[in-house]
Formats: sequence, structure tokens, C-alpha cells
Amino acid sequence: MNALATGTADAIKIRSLVKRFGAFTAVKDVNISVPAGSFLVLVGPSGCGKSTLLRMLAGLESPSEGEIAFVGQTVSSGAGGVIADAGRRNAGLVFQSYALWPHMTVAGNIAWPLKVAKWPRDKREQRVREVLSLLGIDMLAERYPAEISGGQQQRVAIARTIAPQPSILLFDEPLSNLDAKLRIEMRSELMRIHRATGATSVYVTHDQVEAMTMATHVAVLNNGRVEQFGKPIDLLRNPQTTFVATFLGTPPANLIPVHRVGDGLVFGDLVLAPASLAAGRDEAQLLYRAEDVSVGAVAGVPTLMARFAEAAPIAGRTMVTAMIGDLRITAMADSYFTATPGETIPLSFIRTPDAVFAATGERIHQ
Amino acid sequence: MIFLSISAPSGSRLLRSGFLLPAILVAIVAILVVAPLLRILFTTLTPEGIAAWKAVLVSPLSTNLWWRPLLNTMILGFSVASGCLLIGGFLAWLVVLTDVPGRRFLGLMASLPYMIPSFAAALAWGTLFRNSRLGGSAGFFETSGLAIPDWLAWGLIPTAIVLIAHYYSLAYTIIAAALSSVGADLVEAGQMAGAKRPRIFFGIILPVVTPALIAAASLTFAGAVANFAAPALLGLPVRMQTLSTRLFGMIETGQNERGFVLALLLIAVSALFLWLSDRIVSGRKAFITVTGKGGRTKRFPLGAWRWPLFAVAVVIGLLTTVLPVLVLAASSLAPQSGALFSNWTLHFWIGEGGGEMAQGQAGIFRNPVLIDAIWNTIRLGLVVAFTTMLLGLALAYTIVQRRGSLLATVLSQLAFLPLLVPSIAFAAAYIALFGAPIGPLPSLYGTFALLVIAASAHNLPFAVQSGRSVLGQISADIEESARLTGAGLIRRLFAIIFPLVIRGLFAGAILVFVKMVRDLSLVVLLFTATSPVLSMVAYRYAAEGFMQFANAITLVILVVCLAASFVAHSLQNRVQKWKAQ
Repeated sequence: MNALATGTADAIKIRSLVKRFGAFTAVKDVNISVPAGSFLVLVGPSGCGKSTLLRMLAGLESPSEGEIAFVGQTVSSGAGGVIADAGRRNAGLVFQSYALWPHMTVAGNIAWPLKVAKWPRDKREQRVREVLSLLGIDMLAERYPAEISGGQQQRVAIARTIAPQPSILLFDEPLSNLDAKLRIEMRSELMRIHRATGATSVYVTHDQVEAMTMATHVAVLNNGRVEQFGKPIDLLRNPQTTFVATFLGTPPANLIPVHRVGDGLVFGDLVLAPASLAAGRDEAQLLYRAEDVSVGAVAGVPTLMARFAEAAPIAGRTMVTAMIGDLRITAMADSYFTATPGETIPLSFIRTPDAVFAATGERIHQ
Repeated sequence: MIFLSISAPSGSRLLRSGFLLPAILVAIVAILVVAPLLRILFTTLTPEGIAAWKAVLVSPLSTNLWWRPLLNTMILGFSVASGCLLIGGFLAWLVVLTDVPGRRFLGLMASLPYMIPSFAAALAWGTLFRNSRLGGSAGFFETSGLAIPDWLAWGLIPTAIVLIAHYYSLAYTIIAAALSSVGADLVEAGQMAGAKRPRIFFGIILPVVTPALIAAASLTFAGAVANFAAPALLGLPVRMQTLSTRLFGMIETGQNERGFVLALLLIAVSALFLWLSDRIVSGRKAFITVTGKGGRTKRFPLGAWRWPLFAVAVVIGLLTTVLPVLVLAASSLAPQSGALFSNWTLHFWIGEGGGEMAQGQAGIFRNPVLIDAIWNTIRLGLVVAFTTMLLGLALAYTIVQRRGSLLATVLSQLAFLPLLVPSIAFAAAYIALFGAPIGPLPSLYGTFALLVIAASAHNLPFAVQSGRSVLGQISADIEESARLTGAGLIRRLFAIIFPLVIRGLFAGAILVFVKMVRDLSLVVLLFTATSPVLSMVAYRYAAEGFMQFANAITLVILVVCLAASFVAHSLQNRVQKWKAQ
């Protein structure tokens, strides 16, 4: 199972994968494949099945149907269960809880998997020193996990996982227990390690920012299904469902429900777009990015009045949230802006909608 | 800190009470714990005491007074500790780490024997295995034609078996708690490293729970060393002495100084081992598991072994819980103690005295002494439960409030001291202190008050521990948020604090109650005819050979204990409805 041996096969190929727990289906018909060296991010809200998918990749759960192949070799399948068990698929997993063995020192934690893999002592010690310095934790070698901080435990967990040089690295929400500043640092650190090891990484997170910044490939999961799979920028530019459209991107994009009146698509009394965009449907949803909605009246574009809710300055501009009835709209104001909550402010739709979706959530292509 | 935390108006009065409570507590703990121990020590430093030391340690008598009992005690301690680790560990592994069927049921069974007094198992053993070597009626097996060798009827081996049957559930509880703290992630991380099941078990699981194993071993060791009932019932008839039975014998025959010397030595032995085990597991090696997502545990599939292992666990449970109770019940109905299942009669329960049976003694429910003992026992249990929890709460509050101060350290160290002292030695210390009048105070020996004081003192470590966990239920935030609404102290106490702690208080109080009702080793020295308690009456009957009476009373004790647990359980659900079951 050497990554170099089979040049053309995908590093990870997931085919028609299904996982059921009793009557509950956690993962439904997932198909994903990525080439060697990719950084695949599985992103979705909690309970979407992303961790179950990762555990199947790790060999800790067996699939109910479908199969998983690493570099052309089937490692798990619905028919055969776990074919190559967790230790024999050349993959390493970084746990959300870090799962450091509390009775071993930092060096002991890193060395143990190598001992299990029967590395000779001198090679083992050399490798431990190597990964300790790669992660910048040389001075912690003789400490116990309980004696180091959360961020340091995180580094130890990563060091332990990469020490046996797995060709596939699996990460289960590894940064979710860190504070905001440390999380950003570790993000870059993880990408550096990913490049340094040359492994194929699979990374599970509920944080779309992590997905957008780290991934070469993103799979957005919802209710056990892959909503959309592709390059991060493609997902952002070309969302195929309203779920993807609203889940990805900062600040969140707006979805405005409209219906057809005559040859216009109307929200309230306001005509927002020509009816042709809805491709004959009576109901549709229009996607406007925050930067497509401006605070203040602009001549010649649709403008409506909303109740101001809150403002947050971002990079020299201000992100403004306002309410129309129960609908929450995010708009951008130039420079600094504020108002009294409840105050009525005008919002202008300065560009045409970025995408149009059916009322049921799927994209309407023009 | 105390100045800020008390926000009531009359500052000076509260300022004083801020120091008053700790001062009272220090005094109480000093009288309850330190004074008896110092007194017993000083008593043995008088000329008579020195003579007693010599007699016990360096004299022709010392083989019988000290070395042989010590040897027996150590053999008992080590065999019980290893037996408990094996059985308790096996059950804990089975229940926590495998997919054995009926895991909840097995867990419940494994935790039951500790609720049954150890003399119940000893009496049941005697009823079954007693042979006719020592005269008196033979047990069930010998009567049924099965010759029982002496080693199986009396002495070390049956005592060890009976004690293991009692204490393994303590080991089970400790080990099971530790095993369920080994998160699935730790195991799966091992699997990801490619380790096989044995490697994961010996390389990860076992080392992580080692502190718990050592704790379980030392606690069961201390329990076995301190136990009085089992060696007294099964060992004394063949003159097998342990330190605790020797100590009892000395004091009962009026050789108080020698008894006190033995008590001090027993304390030393017990404390030494507890201290050693504490040494081993403290420091850097006292690793706390770095836990993550909600304590999921990994259950290994047993495959074909599921049902056979389930059967083994059920048999262990039946032999140590159901069987002794059945034997006691049958025996209390059988006129011939060997023929358990023939001619059943209720004579031993409600029969009138004066007849042929039981040398004319009336059934236990017609015996005024016994009726007295029942009320005394329940009264003792209730009073001790109340005083213990009150004292525990006050101590825990002071210790938590003044964390880090010298006062808190001293209080918590002193409160945990009784843990090192076997209860029979503790009772001896109380005799040393209160056996004679102190100044104007009359001698308390033989009074109900002395029982209450000694029992409260002996339960202090448990009381402080449960007091702390009870107080842990109320975070500072909860209390402060109530204070910000403007509610006064009394209002807060009843609206916020009381509802939150009531469950913990109940649980602690019931445990103390049960401990008192089934206790023998503490009351055996402090008991007199004016303050009879059930366990003591049962022991007396057994010692005089009236097995049916002893067994019947033991059943009464069991029923009281079980009823208390049941009441506790249903009350808890009623008072804290918001806690999901």
C-alpha cells in the first residue's frame, strides 16, 4: 500500500458509501475521490455525518454499503466490512480530544506507535526527535500530557500521528478545543505539516472558514448527504444548493424569497429581478452576497426599508444586519456606520442576484 | 475572602461568627479524632502500658499475642486484596469494556454484596460448611452426608473467602469507575497505531487504571485487616486469631493496656499499607485522563465467549448475594440447623418461649431485648447519619472557603485521619478516652451517646468527602446570581442551595445509615446491655450457638438496609424531578 506504487489511482476513493446505525442513516450514498497530496475538508453542521465518514476512513467503523479504496486498494466495503483494519491502512488520525495516553510522556506517546510498528530503537529515537522539532515541542519530551497546555497537547497529538509517516492523515475537528488566536496559528501550522509530509489529508470541521482556507477539495455535508463537492472557490462561486450558498462565505450571503408577478420577481411590493431568471417557476429564492446589498438609497436599483439590528466593522467597512419581518439581511456600508436598533434604514440591491434557487433549494441554471 | 462573601448587615457579629465556626470545628475534630488517639497512646506509656508493650512484643507471650495474629492478619489482607482484584477486576472489565449481555444487571449484582454485612456471609458459610468437630450441630453439607474437612469449615480459608465475597464489590466499584474513564479515543488511538487487543490492554488500558487498582487493593486490604465479624465467627472457634479478634479478646477480658497496644499496632499496620499505596500513586504518576467528548467507552466484542462469561458473572453474583440470603432465610426457619429444608417453623421469628425448642427461648419478635435493639439500631443509624452529614457539610464548607490556609489543611488532614484507623481500634481508643470519668463529666462507657460520638468520628472522612461533593453541586456563579436578585441568605438557602444539595445529602446520609446498621466492628467494644444494637445481638447469638436466631436477626438487618436504599432511591427521584433518570 505504497502511495508511489500506483501512480494513477486516486489516493482516496469513496464509492456509494452508506452507514446505518439501526434505523438511522448517518451517511447516505457518498461519492468522493481525491488525488494524492490533496487536502480534503469535510464540512457541515453538527450531526451531518462527517465524523462518521471520517471514522469509516480510519477503519474504526465499517460501512453498511459501498466501498472505500486507498490508492486503488479496497480497505473497507459494505460486503467485506473493515478489510484492512485501522492499524494496517497506513493512515493516522488526530482525535478531537487528542486522545493522548495519560500514562506516557510526550516522547513516549510519540514513540509507542513506532514500537508497535516494530521500528528499531535508534530509528525510533531519531524519528521522535525529528517530529518533536518539526512541531517545535522539543522541550516537552519528558512531560506527561496532564502537565502541558491544550495547545501543546494538540501539537503532541499531531506529532504522534505523523511519526509513523502515514500516507493519509485524518483530522477530526482538531482545532475545536483551542482559543481563537491559537486556532488561526495552528491552521497555518497544519497546512505546513501537510505540505512537509506530502500525505493526503482528510479534515473534518464545522467551521466553514477552516474549510475555505485550508482545503484543496471541500465536501459540504448535510443530513448525511454530500450537498456539493469541489474546489473551495467553485463552491463559493457556484453553489448548487441554498444550503451550500448560505453555509459557506463570510459574511453570510442573503437568500430572498420571491414570487412571480407579471414579468417580475417580487419581494413584498418590490420588483427585484426579471421573471426569466426563475425559468418559468412561480416561486424562487434569490442569492445576494452581502457586498451586493448596500446601506442607503441608490438611484436606479431596487431599494427597500428594513429595521436596523446590529453593525460590525470589518476591514474598513461595516457589516450591517437588518430585519424585514422575520427575514434577516446582511448588507455592507462604506466606512463606519451605526444606527439605533429598530430604526428604519434603506437597503439597496446594487447588483443582480448572484444565483437563483428554486423554493425547494436546488439551483436554477440559466 | 470571608469578609467579602458575607454580605449581611451586622458586620461585627458576623465577623466573629466567621471565626467562631472554624474554631468550633477545630475543637470538635480535636475531641473526636485527636483526643482518643492521643489518649490511647499515652495510656500505653504509663508503667502498666510499658509492661503491656513488653508482654505483646518481647515476651514468651508475644508469639500468641502479636506475631501469630499479625501473620494471620497479613495472610488475610493479601489474599483478600488479590482475590478482590481478580474478581472485582474481572467483573469490571466484563461490564465496562466488553459487549457482554445484561451489562446493567451484572453491574447491579456486582455492587450488591457491599450492602450485605460481612457477617451475613460468614453466618451463611457456617450454616452450610460447619462440621461437627467442635461439637454443636453440624452444617447443611455434613448433615447431608458430605464430610467437610476442617480447613474448609474453620479458619483462614473460609474467612478469606467470606471477606472476598464481601469486599470484591468495593474493588469492582473502584475499578469499573476507572475503566469507564478510559475514553474510546485512547483505545482507538492505539488501534490506529496498529496495536492488537492484548497490546492495547496491557499497553494502554492497564497502565491507565493502575492507580485505581492500587487504590482498590489497599482499601480491600485495609478492610480485611480491620474486619472483626468474619474471623471472629469462623476463626475464633478454632483459635485462629487476627489482630482485631485479639484486640477484642484483650479488652473483653479486662486486659485493657494490652488491648490498647494491639490497637496501636493494628493502626500502624493498616496505616502503613494505605500510606504506601498512596505514595505509589501520587506525584507525577497520578495522571488524570485528559478527557474529551462525553466519555464514550470502547466495548470489545467477546464473540463466542459472551454467554459463557455472562454465566460466570451471574454465578459469582448469585453465590455472593442471593445464596447467602437464601441460606440465612432457610436456616431461620429450620429447627435443626443442619437440615435446612425440613420441618420449617416460624418459631425462631415469632414463637413463644418456654417450649422444647431453642432451650426455651422465644422468637426474636417476642424478645424484648431484640425489639429494643431494632429501635436502638435505627435510632443510632438516623442520629449518626444526621450528625455525620451536618458535621461533614460544615467541615467541607470551611475547608473549601479557606482553601490554601493552614486551618483548611489542618482540618482536612485531621478529618481524614480516621480513614487510617480500623474501626475496632478506634473503638478501643474511645474506651481509653471515655471509659473513665473525665473531670466532672461521667464515664460515657456503655451509653448511647458514646456510640453516636464514636460512629460520627469514624465516619468523618466519608462525611467530609460527600460534603465536598455536595457543595460542588453549587457553583459560585449560581449562588452569586441568586444574591444579585437581592434574595437574602435564608431565602437563598431554601430556594437555591437546599434543592441542589438535597440529593447528595440524602445519598450520603443513607450510606452512613446503612454502614451503621450493618456495622459490627465498631460497636462490638462499645456495646453494653443498656444499648443493644442488632448486629451485636446477632453476634452474641451466633457465639452462643443459636444460629437460627443470629441468622434471623441478620435478615432483619438486611431488610432494614435494603429498605433504606429503596427509600433513598424513591425519595431522590421525587425531590429532584429535573434530573433525568
